[in-house]
Amino acid sequence: MCAFFASIRLSRRTLTRVPWLCLACWIAWTQALAAESVWPAEAERLAALEQRRERVIDEAIARIDPQDPSKGSLFDIAATVSRGENLDWARQRIRALNDPPSGAMFWMHPMVLAMYAGRDSWNEDDWAYFRELWRTYFPYRGDTENHWLMYYASLYLVCEMFPEAGGEAWYNGKSSVENMEEARDYLRDWVRVTTSYGQGEFDSPNYIEEYVRPLSLLAGWAQDPEVRQIGRMMLDYILFDFAVEDLNGLYGGAHSRIYPRYTLEPALTPAASHAWLLFGQGEYQSTAGCLMLALSGYTPPAILDRIARDRETPYVQRELKRTRWRLRHMGPETFEIDGRVTAPVYKYSYVHPDFVLGCCQGGTLQPIQQQTWSLIWREDRPRGISNTMFAVQPHASPEEGTRFFVTDWDTVTDLIARSKVDYTAPDKLEGGSPYEQIFQHEGTLIALYDIPEDSRFPHIHTFFSEDLTARTEAPSGWIFAQGGPIYLAYRPFAPGEWRPVDWTGLLHGGAGGWVSSNFAELAGKSELYHSEARQNGYVLQVASQRDFASFAQFQKAVEALPLKFSLQGTPSVRFTTLDGTQLTATYGQPPEVNGAPVDYADWPLFDGPFGHAERGSEHLEMRYDEARYQLDFTDLTRSSSTPSQQ
Amino acid sequence: MKRLAPYWIIALLTACPAAYAAEPPTPELFAAMIMTKQQQASAVPTSSGVLWRAPKGAWSRLGPEIQLVSSATVDPHDPAHIFLACGNGIVRSRDGGETWRMVTGWREADVLQIVVDPQSRENVYAATAWGVLVSHDGGESWRDASEGLPAERLAKGIAIDPRNPARLLLATTTGLFESTNCGAVWRRVDGFPEVAALRICQSETDLDRWLVGTEGRGVWRSRDNGHTWSPCAPALAQANVYAVAVAPHDADLLAAGGWTTGVWFSRDGGDKWQPAATALPSANITAMTFDPVHRHRLWASTFEEGTFYTEDFGATWHSAHLDGAYVFDLGFLDLKR
Repeated sequence: MCAFFASIRLSRRTLTRVPWLCLACWIAWTQALAAESVWPAEAERLAALEQRRERVIDEAIARIDPQDPSKGSLFDIAATVSRGENLDWARQRIRALNDPPSGAMFWMHPMVLAMYAGRDSWNEDDWAYFRELWRTYFPYRGDTENHWLMYYASLYLVCEMFPEAGGEAWYNGKSSVENMEEARDYLRDWVRVTTSYGQGEFDSPNYIEEYVRPLSLLAGWAQDPEVRQIGRMMLDYILFDFAVEDLNGLYGGAHSRIYPRYTLEPALTPAASHAWLLFGQGEYQSTAGCLMLALSGYTPPAILDRIARDRETPYVQRELKRTRWRLRHMGPETFEIDGRVTAPVYKYSYVHPDFVLGCCQGGTLQPIQQQTWSLIWREDRPRGISNTMFAVQPHASPEEGTRFFVTDWDTVTDLIARSKVDYTAPDKLEGGSPYEQIFQHEGTLIALYDIPEDSRFPHIHTFFSEDLTARTEAPSGWIFAQGGPIYLAYRPFAPGEWRPVDWTGLLHGGAGGWVSSNFAELAGKSELYHSEARQNGYVLQVASQRDFASFAQFQKAVEALPLKFSLQGTPSVRFTTLDGTQLTATYGQPPEVNGAPVDYADWPLFDGPFGHAERGSEHLEMRYDEARYQLDFTDLTRSSSTPSQQ
Repeated sequence: MKRLAPYWIIALLTACPAAYAAEPPTPELFAAMIMTKQQQASAVPTSSGVLWRAPKGAWSRLGPEIQLVSSATVDPHDPAHIFLACGNGIVRSRDGGETWRMVTGWREADVLQIVVDPQSRENVYAATAWGVLVSHDGGESWRDASEGLPAERLAKGIAIDPRNPARLLLATTTGLFESTNCGAVWRRVDGFPEVAALRICQSETDLDRWLVGTEGRGVWRSRDNGHTWSPCAPALAQANVYAVAVAPHDADLLAAGGWTTGVWFSRDGGDKWQPAATALPSANITAMTFDPVHRHRLWASTFEEGTFYTEDFGATWHSAHLDGAYVFDLGFLDLKR
């Protein structure tokens, strides 16, 4: 090393800096060491994970009253029979729950779980009873991606339990061999489509659980090595998708599906419960997905743990997803996969140590429950806090409904609203709009709207949490606020008014069952900024408080930024961000960053500092420092360049 | 006016002599439906599947209780051979409904209507939300047969030309399509608008006459076996017509109904139309069929407000119950019971 240094010809000026360079190197070295020490030893991580698993199972069992067979879920039964406890109760309860069976794939997967978890506990009568259920109850396969995954994962596993059974043993008249072949073929295809074109029901803080559950079943109990590997690798894949937009356990960015109460408190979501179990983030809460993960024994690779928790440096995360399969009214940019039509979804998230701001491009990309953009900010203990912001152009139409569902034009919106009760509400908190165009550069988000006169709800509203403090409407037109460790500035292009969340009272009144439970408490004093201008838009500028000496300085800096917009004719905007980037957007045209159109054509499946996947690749590389973790779905292999850390 | 015997009788006599040697099947009214009226805060209807109606009026289940069954079909060559068009795919019984088997795999879904070739029981066709399925082994195996259809290929209905069973007409959400080679290739039917065709039916007594209900463009008819088409029923010209029917004994007696329209009748083959003299509890009509046994009897289902029949062109209606149901299809199956 000395010879190396000696061979370098250094200028006098450089030489004077050598002591400082040495000091800097030493600081960097010690910081690197310190950073390594942030991560627990692998044995420690695994021990802590095991403790959390046990707690999940313990608490499920603790909910059981062995004297009361009128209460308890199939999941509770699975938990207790996995330990051979409360068997009399379990026998009574499982019969009560199946009188008669219902719920289709939501029945199938916990039934399979209970059967496997209690494999050594159930007696001959129990098995005969289960076999009769599977012979006579004909579950619906459903109409969404998560439904099909739950259906086929469950069907595969239950048939694998009785591999010799003929068609007379099963509700659908097919033998175990036939059912397993069909299920395996579907699972392979789902993997291929997901890892080539993106998930259709992507990045949902709610529905991630509906993927984790069946994949946990496969990972935990499939005997076939290929099917078991599908479960493990797709859990890695789905959880990576979450981990790169995970802020202290909360799922940031745009979401394909979310329920209204969860838009208000991100810490309530199943995603947050999974982050607690798998990565030790946030607080414990009971979910079926957690229980299934715990019982399955699935262990995320160490690199995933680090990706989920390391928020030292801000980064941009780009992801390509796709819309749900479209049946009618296809819209722009559609393409076919094996005879089914879909369209690309371009996700962009800015993941900062203090916040995650993320969006997709707008449009009706998913039916009913889309969250086109969202902001969440860091809270150390986020339960009970509405640490989020988002906006909605409420849209409900037969065109949207029939785009995704087979149902008739005149009944589709009504039938959607039977279960998603706020679908036709003017004050709903989720849903895509065909009249919305969103675009983002790091901590700056721009939205433009061109709403036709005959639109059902010709307005937009932006959610302002009661947990934002110092909300200020400046004479400049900017609305400023502080949330946790961030400042935000929101500039509406057209005037609006403040309204309470759920101003129609639909969810406050309890409509929708569990969807609206404790909604009044969750909504609290949060408000919507409601604007009825049909040509409309806004800029949202988010920054960390650590970058400004004061709130006042932030406001001053934002107000000095060049902003020009027009709502005459086609809405357009030109804005220069806090970091000097010039953003330009005109409704209906590709947005520009510093004069260059955003290149959607080359949008990768995953791209960010923690991983990369190309379109069509069936491959994902996770990255953390020098570590590499490869998922190759073409041959279902996992490999690591630093095996000792995995 | 040409009057031919119903094609299923011809087929039965020519193709399946054993069938008429046994006790003849009796046509039974069926309803493919979901019970939605009581469905609140739930994505799951309170009941669903196919029901058939006994002569005394009681409804019984035909086949398993599956959430989304759009239609049912009986093989005209063998009344014990029943197909259900399901969200899950195609479910078939070969023993008159004693046992059932899914005969499709994961790639087949959202099946909306099934027809069996009246001359060859081997050929079975299915309209689905994703195009057309064809079986050439009596429904044992299926493959996609959507060549020539556009990317949007949601097929609501399918019909076979009984005089030339290689010819099929397909009602899709982008218009009407025709195949003349057993579904191998489809081409758009010229002269029919590029709108959603929701329901297609053919007269059994005059095989040149066809009737189609559309989304937003009312009722269309053909009098030359589906080669040329023209709108009829001007009062329904902008309606979403979910149900059309031609009386099996009388090619001039037609009925149509859709959303907010109530039931309309024509007694002259579609030249003039009149609304039913008495309104049903709901004007939203989802399914209709004429009765093959009781001349002039029309059955009609409303959205969630019950199913009814009339024998006097709507002057009086008799309840057939199914209150709360959303009936997708109403028809007669030649069940052997």
